[in-house]
Amino acid sequence: MARNIQKTFAGIHALSDVSLEIRSGDIHALMGENGAGKSTLMNILAGLFQPDSGEIHLRGRPVIIKNPHDAIRKGIAMIHQELMPIPDMTVAENIALGHEPTLGMAGWIDRHAMKQEAERLLGLLGVNISATRTMRELSVAEIQTVEIARALGRNAGLLIMDEPTSAISDREVEALFAVIRTLARSGVAIVYISHKMDEIFRIADTITVLRDGKYVGTHPAVDLDKRKLISLMVGRDLTATILEDRKVHGEPVLEVNRLGKTGLFREISFNLRRGEILGVAGLMGAGRTEVMNALFGLDPADTGDIVVNKKKARIRCPADAMRLGIGMVTEDRKGCGIVPTMTVEHNTTLSALTRCCAGEFIIHKREHAIIDENIQLFGIKTSGRRQEINQLSGGNQQKVVIAKTLLTQPSIVILDEPTRGIDIGAKAEVYAIINRLAREGKAVILVSSELPEILSLTDRILVMRQGSVAAELDPRQTSQEEILKYAMPI
Amino acid sequence: MIIRSSKHFIGMFLLLLSALIYSGCNRDAAPDKKTATDGSRQLVVGVSLMNLSSEFIVLINKAMLESAKDMGIKLIITDAQRSAEKQVQQIETFIGQKVDAIILNPCEVEASSPAVDTAIAAGIPIINVNSATKSTPTAFVGSSDEESGRIAMEYIVKRLSGTGNILIMQGYMGQAAQIKRDQGADEVLAKNAGIKVLARQTAEWDRAKAMSLMENWIQTFGSKVNAVYAHNDEMAMGALIALENAKLKDKIVVVGVDAIADAVQAVKAGRLDATVFQDAAGQGRTAVKLAVKIAKKEPFEKETFIPFQLVTKENVDKFAR
Amino acid sequence: MQCPSDKSKSAMLAYVLKQYGIVIALILICTALSFCSPHFLTWPNLITVTRQISLNGILAVGVTFVLLTGGVDLSLGSLVALTGVVAASFAHPGDYPLIIPVMAGILAGMACGAANGVVITRGRVAPFIVTLGMMTIARGLALVISGGKPVSNMSPSMTRLGGDFLGLPIPVLVLCGISAVSWLFLKNVRLGRYIYAVGGNENAARAAGINVNGVKLLAYTICGAMAGLAGVILAARITTGQPNAGLAYELDAIAAAVIGGTSLSGGIGGVGGTLLGALLMGVINNGLDLLNVSSYYQQIVKGIIIVGAVWLDRKHGK
Repeated sequence: MARNIQKTFAGIHALSDVSLEIRSGDIHALMGENGAGKSTLMNILAGLFQPDSGEIHLRGRPVIIKNPHDAIRKGIAMIHQELMPIPDMTVAENIALGHEPTLGMAGWIDRHAMKQEAERLLGLLGVNISATRTMRELSVAEIQTVEIARALGRNAGLLIMDEPTSAISDREVEALFAVIRTLARSGVAIVYISHKMDEIFRIADTITVLRDGKYVGTHPAVDLDKRKLISLMVGRDLTATILEDRKVHGEPVLEVNRLGKTGLFREISFNLRRGEILGVAGLMGAGRTEVMNALFGLDPADTGDIVVNKKKARIRCPADAMRLGIGMVTEDRKGCGIVPTMTVEHNTTLSALTRCCAGEFIIHKREHAIIDENIQLFGIKTSGRRQEINQLSGGNQQKVVIAKTLLTQPSIVILDEPTRGIDIGAKAEVYAIINRLAREGKAVILVSSELPEILSLTDRILVMRQGSVAAELDPRQTSQEEILKYAMPI
Repeated sequence: MIIRSSKHFIGMFLLLLSALIYSGCNRDAAPDKKTATDGSRQLVVGVSLMNLSSEFIVLINKAMLESAKDMGIKLIITDAQRSAEKQVQQIETFIGQKVDAIILNPCEVEASSPAVDTAIAAGIPIINVNSATKSTPTAFVGSSDEESGRIAMEYIVKRLSGTGNILIMQGYMGQAAQIKRDQGADEVLAKNAGIKVLARQTAEWDRAKAMSLMENWIQTFGSKVNAVYAHNDEMAMGALIALENAKLKDKIVVVGVDAIADAVQAVKAGRLDATVFQDAAGQGRTAVKLAVKIAKKEPFEKETFIPFQLVTKENVDKFAR
Repeated sequence: MQCPSDKSKSAMLAYVLKQYGIVIALILICTALSFCSPHFLTWPNLITVTRQISLNGILAVGVTFVLLTGGVDLSLGSLVALTGVVAASFAHPGDYPLIIPVMAGILAGMACGAANGVVITRGRVAPFIVTLGMMTIARGLALVISGGKPVSNMSPSMTRLGGDFLGLPIPVLVLCGISAVSWLFLKNVRLGRYIYAVGGNENAARAAGINVNGVKLLAYTICGAMAGLAGVILAARITTGQPNAGLAYELDAIAAAVIGGTSLSGGIGGVGGTLLGALLMGVINNGLDLLNVSSYYQQIVKGIIIVGAVWLDRKHGK
């Protein structure tokens, strides 16, 4: 389908000589670390970029895809990692967006036909979402299904999905996979991009691996296993992260007593000690992020106490939390992690700017020294401290956010989904950072949807379900199945 | 989309409604036509003024209120804030209130005409004060703006003894006053070939804009200029300050129109050469008198012109307020 | 990468245009004007241009603070009128020493700016609406205080503020002063950095422990103070406090900032660009007057040049 594609950005090869062939009805996984060129290749197919050389064949004929609109006309649809629904429009309106059925010359929108079409498409996918609900009310997984329905409505012959499961729970993944399989059976070719190995092996028929903008190989999924795939992606064998043995814990630094917030969570109690890593598991919407936001003052709780270092704390805003030595890496990196208009340097020092100041004045030399040290310490891949953070890959942005948080020298570190949407190499580095923090005697809370991550890193696991704590488990004596058992709504 | 945004429509509707109620309260919903002491009922006259933040209009307003008090009638004053559309609405409200007469100080020649038409159609006498509309009102009180242009330009011709270069600062382009003040000046210029107009440019009646314009002119024309004619005093003052800053005032004659307090002061101090006095108080008083006459069905003049007067250092004391 | 030199050349060109697009536009226009009018490139005319941009420049620097936080201030023009009237009311000969009217004007502007900021942050009302309200409130206050008439009879010490000092216009010196201080503030002071952060991503700024409301309040207050300063200078320049002065000045100020590369959505821009934007607008104004272009055409030409300058900037900035 695509042959010898090349693309260069600002003098850096994003893709060189990559070829890819996708057959209809095939679920084709595209694998590679961040920066391997997956997104660039897919953006070329979807018409967002033009290749510098090479050609694209569609159903045997060479084509030029001028822009996203053109791609849709030619039957190529892409579902982006960050979904872009119009929140106040209904499901039917979003599905019809851009080609609304109209009555007569004046272009009156035929609402009835629009709704019927939406229901038909959603029915084809075997899901039960009312066409008259607004997008705002839907869960991430439901929004994804709507986007798929929208692509289906355009008679897409090729559907590109970029990390569709990065923000949805395991149960929803199952439903999504069912939808994808239905589509594939009806002859749609699917390109599936993900970092999650388990999923790839569950869903994909064929796997193509890219590395550093180069084509590595295409294999039937049955011929590969996790180890082989990882070594193809990374170019070397990567030993699994190790569970460190840290039995000695210090005194409790954080005690949470019966914390509650109407409609979100209730009766949350737990404690946290120095040098401990506390895992928080649960499905999306179980209230994990909401509890963390309350602890950090982003969205304070209504009832209950937070005790920090044996003193009752009043946390009304993040500044309060930071004064008490709490630091947090938020779940939503784009939304409240980075300032996209600022440089790597200014993002890193934002929380701890006083450390670069004499009085109110910023001492630029001091700031440069701090940022250079952190770029090294966290292995941030950037062309320089003055690069705009937007130009970094997700994993490197995340490292900047973590560096920013740690610069405030917190004694309690909350990490909410720190490895979401970042590649395997960066994940391993984040794990190393987490272990190092605990070794240094900091108390760490790790919220994650990836159970293997929680099981291998933490000392204790809190499972949340529907806004309250369902269980406290010992990772050495539990399993993914047991955690899921507690996490499932009753 | 439409279903959702109906919420907004309701919100907008409520907002509009409350605005209507508010403005209704503000404007004496129904003028109480109390019986006056002499047994006949008190006359009510609606007034729509162009812009109450202009000093000249404020003076007209003051004179009207004073004479209304003397004559025992009631005035409803509204300010159209330079919007002809608002003006038409105000006249419609007056008609709804069944006032006895309307005094209109039009914002624009064309756009304010519907106000006159609707009043005449409703059988309510309407008197234009200060400036004209395309439609003919029941009566007109004002001064002919051409005359002010003529007086100002004749003064300049006299001062320059018939030869010299001048600059003209125009008012807001397209307004009656700008057009007529140009026309009056042009009549005089046509008869005096020795006077050459170097440039004509608008400063939109505004002092700060006039100052900038004059500064730029000084760069271009420098000492070639012999006189500046500004369509109003605000602009004349702006030009004056720019010339004084450039130390050129001694050589250049500056003349404005309107005789606002600041300009009269400047004439008195010998800074400004002349201005043309337009009798705001006279216009306001005459308009109210006419309104009463017409309402009482007494005979009246269709057009009353209050004459302009040239203000120079010699007669300035008569005009100092 | 078949022909690397070509690529890097075009990349270089794009970079230069992005960084210096406005400077290039300014140089082009100035060159054209100096050929068209012998009066343009003379010392007195250049002084005149700087004098004429000083008011818009001060307002534009003020509004840059607000734009950087992602807000907008539409009340500037009215604030100029109000503060001018306030200052003029204290500036009659023999009333008070010069410092009183000057401070009264600036404080009145600060108070209105702070009021904008408080309603926007505490009341969570959109800046567009709040400052639109302040636009009419301030205009109304100016008319009330002045009684609808210009406040004249100003002391000579006050009017001297509109004049020259050591051969340079005082308004220009003031503009230079506040620009330098603002530039230093935004670049070297902690709160300055926070202004950029709040405009770039308000949520991230909050999560970084920044008092977002405080930063916004500061920006609106600074903007109000600048409007007060501009009001005082305008009153001194035209020797009266005019209640109907400053109509639509806010649009010129915002235009100058945006032409200079400040983003209307916040987080990007700065004082340097804003000054260039004001200069570009001033040069166009001056040039069209020098060439005696008819008033009707002036408006068209101005509009085209403003949109063209920004368009050029954005097109190559991508």
